[in-house]
Amino acid sequence: MIKLIFAFSLVSLSFTVSAQDKFTLNGYIRDSSNGEALIGATIFVKEIKNGVVSNEYGFYSITLPAGSYSLSMTYTGFESVAQTLILNKNIQLNGELVPEVEQLQEVVVQGDIEQANVQNAEMSTNKLDIKTINRTPMLFGEADVLRTLLLLPGVSTVGEGASGFNVRGGGVGQNLILLDEAPVYNSSHLFGFFSVFNPDAVKDTKLFKGAIPARYGGRIASILDVRMKEGNSKKFETTGGVGSVFSRIAVEGPLIKNKASFIVAARRSYADVLARPFVPLLKEGGALNFYDLTLKTNYNINRKNRLYLSGYFGRDNFKFDKTQGFNWGNATSTLRWNHLFNERLFSNITLVYSKYDYALQFGKDDRNSFSWNSSISDLILRPQFTYFINSRNELNFGGDATYYTFQPANAVGITNGKAVDISLDRKYNLETALHIGNNQKITKALSIEYGLRFSNFQYLGPGTAYYYNDTIRGVRRSIIGSRSFKSGERIATYNNLEPRLSFKVQTSSTSALKGSYNRMVQYLHLISNTTASNPLDVWTSSSNNTKPQIGDQFTLGYFKDVGKNSQFEISIEGYLRYTQNQIDYIDGADLLINRYLEGDLLSGQGRAYGVETYLQKKTGRLNGWISYTLGRTELKVDGINRGEWYETRYNQTHNLKVAAFYDISKRWSVSGNFIFTSGTPTTFPTSRYIQQDILVPYNANESRNNVHLSDYHRLDIAFRLEGKKMKHGKERKNSDYWIFSLYNVYARRNPFSIYFSQNDQRVPQGQPLQSQATQLSIIGSIVPSVSYNFKF
Amino acid sequence: MKNLMPVRNVLMAVGIFSFVLLGCEDKINPTLESATPILAVDGWLNNKPESQVILLTRTQPYFENIVPPGVSGAIITVSDDHNKTYSFVEDDTNPGKYQWKPAVGEVFGTVGYRYKLSIQLSGETYESSAYMGRVPLIDSISFDKDKRLGTKEEIIRGEFWATDPAGPGDTYWVRSYKNGVRLNKPSEIVVAYDAGFSAGGLTDGVVFITPLRRGINAKDKDSNGKSLSPFLAGDSINVQIHSITLAAFNYLKEVQVQTDRPGGFQELFSKPLSNVSTNISNVNPGGNKVVGFFNVSAVSGLGKRYIP
Repeated sequence: MIKLIFAFSLVSLSFTVSAQDKFTLNGYIRDSSNGEALIGATIFVKEIKNGVVSNEYGFYSITLPAGSYSLSMTYTGFESVAQTLILNKNIQLNGELVPEVEQLQEVVVQGDIEQANVQNAEMSTNKLDIKTINRTPMLFGEADVLRTLLLLPGVSTVGEGASGFNVRGGGVGQNLILLDEAPVYNSSHLFGFFSVFNPDAVKDTKLFKGAIPARYGGRIASILDVRMKEGNSKKFETTGGVGSVFSRIAVEGPLIKNKASFIVAARRSYADVLARPFVPLLKEGGALNFYDLTLKTNYNINRKNRLYLSGYFGRDNFKFDKTQGFNWGNATSTLRWNHLFNERLFSNITLVYSKYDYALQFGKDDRNSFSWNSSISDLILRPQFTYFINSRNELNFGGDATYYTFQPANAVGITNGKAVDISLDRKYNLETALHIGNNQKITKALSIEYGLRFSNFQYLGPGTAYYYNDTIRGVRRSIIGSRSFKSGERIATYNNLEPRLSFKVQTSSTSALKGSYNRMVQYLHLISNTTASNPLDVWTSSSNNTKPQIGDQFTLGYFKDVGKNSQFEISIEGYLRYTQNQIDYIDGADLLINRYLEGDLLSGQGRAYGVETYLQKKTGRLNGWISYTLGRTELKVDGINRGEWYETRYNQTHNLKVAAFYDISKRWSVSGNFIFTSGTPTTFPTSRYIQQDILVPYNANESRNNVHLSDYHRLDIAFRLEGKKMKHGKERKNSDYWIFSLYNVYARRNPFSIYFSQNDQRVPQGQPLQSQATQLSIIGSIVPSVSYNFKF
Repeated sequence: MKNLMPVRNVLMAVGIFSFVLLGCEDKINPTLESATPILAVDGWLNNKPESQVILLTRTQPYFENIVPPGVSGAIITVSDDHNKTYSFVEDDTNPGKYQWKPAVGEVFGTVGYRYKLSIQLSGETYESSAYMGRVPLIDSISFDKDKRLGTKEEIIRGEFWATDPAGPGDTYWVRSYKNGVRLNKPSEIVVAYDAGFSAGGLTDGVVFITPLRRGINAKDKDSNGKSLSPFLAGDSINVQIHSITLAAFNYLKEVQVQTDRPGGFQELFSKPLSNVSTNISNVNPGGNKVVGFFNVSAVSGLGKRYIP
């Protein structure tokens, strides 16, 4: 890795030499009220009609010929700052932007300046502002990052109770979810009802659905990059809320003035009652709850060096009684070091540890029990460099090295004190990548971003590789041999080149055409053949049998701003993705505690295509957006659906979302969202037959996903009441607000699944078995809730 | 934070109120695609001293809740690899029911032999084969008291004790009879690979693992959906271990996945509907399709009555 850094340094030196007669303006853009770095603030230089955008740490750098310039620094929701300066030497200029006086609340999805979507080369990305997240009506009135994300174009879910989300027809396991750069393997609490991100600690959320920059890799459908707040560096602040399901509190403040700050945020649910409608047994000693703790601190060593340390720890507990149950959770920690080599070379080195694990415990005492746990952990080293070559080129390069340790199953059964260990061996993998990408403004109208990522994956010993016979249509593959490997020996190796390209053509000052191609490679696979993804799904790595998933995506979009002050933004974007080595499962596959799991996996190809249309009104008392996606996602796997293409479980032809926000008065505001999606596919039988008194369903056409559930639609409404600003004639120091929300206003019983079964009653000999179909709705009624939120 | 406590209590009440109303299930009658009926074979033979039966029916529309009519007129034979052939003869009063009746002291099959099924029907020939594997003896059956999951109510649970013989790859179906009635619900299917759940579990040559040993308990509920104690004083249990082929083991696991649908919260963990396999095939690959299974089992058994 040191060699690599050295090599890159050499490259950067050669650039420096060729730019002698120019000077660099750089610095950090921050929020004046709390010192938080502003991500994506625009520094616009009038004279060249061009500008740069601050990075994830608020840093910007622009190199220009000597001269006099007038600049503006802008960020939505903040007062713009204009300044003229004479550039005759390198200048450091930090910007502190003042939040706009609270007018009637304004909601912004694209965090950049108006027209940002048009002027920025990025496409297929959505930024979610925490203000928007806080104002969107949600289940039980709790603001939630992932559930707000579901209102954006191209993002969907198979229903309430499903963990994770789907992007442009990709699977739940095909999204890379990063919390301060640490991968989060299960983003959901309580089976998807809430996400693991505490909104009090989240600063910025960005979803990449396409045109993914070369610095990201490892999943084929999307990257969700969640950045945590650094903590208020100006004053102490406490925010919190009390809701129907959980309470939360966050404390932040300076540790050393202008040097260090921190934030600690915690949530704890008292939602054990949630389980009652599903599992009546949960009354004695049973539990269903979660908690999480998010913390971050940073230390500003000097102008050139800054350290950040952040962590997350969360856990869900599901207990059947006092001793039996299961629990799961993520833990992540991220250490980052920002270093400025010179005015134009910014670097960040990240060290991450991330772990996801779950554990189950059954049995009545120590002498008779069954315990099982499974985990995946990552240790990541990630140096990243940005070289701000000039006002037209921004070069990003760096590397990634991840060491994975899989514990597929650590399982012990104890019978009358005698233990039988049926644990599976650990698996070890090393994934490394080098990447380089340049963001180049070729002419005033044309800019392109191009990059290349080289990834290498090694399945390492110690371990046993298994060899299987060839696939016979629909039959479990049998093991024909195995070989043991010593520690550090390579069992399987894969190399892949991942080209990334996107372009933007500015067709007018308010419109642009953008397109992209990218190849993504995924070496880890989420193994799940249940109706919806759930916490017990296991992750497995590529191996000598399971090949890495490869996705090629093409996108093309048209973006336009219309109306006074460009208050409306319209976009239409098409995507097409081909995927290889997609995983499906033989019928009756055994996915848990199975050494020979790979014999139960099938491999096929996938395709997903669609059009996303989006209309947003960005300002005014009434604002919000409408998003409509027409899409299709399919798989083709030998042995399933007669070998023909079939829709995936998460295919949705139509996906319409409307989100609206209206300010009634100074204190009252109302927001609403409406969702309509086509029913997801499912498989119905045609026939039945009896085998040893059991009624077996049969589909004579051997179809998969041959019918659709009825359409899903839902309306949610929330009212927000701001607390009084004045008390006894004086301005209050504290602020607070109430949220009254109604989820599923017209109480529609949206189907989660339809299942076919024989009646559970015992049937006397000679009597016919009764078959039945049952439609399950996870939430079949209106859910009212209240939450109280405060800040002091 | 103290002054927030009353707020919290109000919110808790709202929370409880809303949760109770959440999930729901509705019985529905969707329209299904129509399909041509095909032959279904139910051929599970064993070495118990009793008549061996092979049932021939046809697949029915999924919601046709009547006993499927039998298929008459087939010629069925089962022959082993030691030159013995068993003829299965259709019962005069039960069309579609084909039987082989043992002579006094005779049983069907020998452990270690391979069997071939042949069904001739309307000019088509269907075939299958199976192997009769070994089976361990059941050492004992015990009863113990436990609390119903999540409650203080006492229940009585049965457990059988047996040890898988050394040598990997034995597969079994544990079938139980409570008070003489076979426990035949989908949720009561218990299959074992050696002494565990699957080949990957590495449980060769040990005592059957706990969930298998306790799989013999009836899963009955009262009209309120509350599960009943598997045993009350005086109830009897008869446990039989049937050796099955690996194909039959895989088949039964598939059947279990496809038919054991308790619904509710557990739907989150359920798998999509798909056809279970079959080991019966038409010798003419282009001929009529067939579903069902053929297996031959060696059986060991033990019974016990629960007397507190």
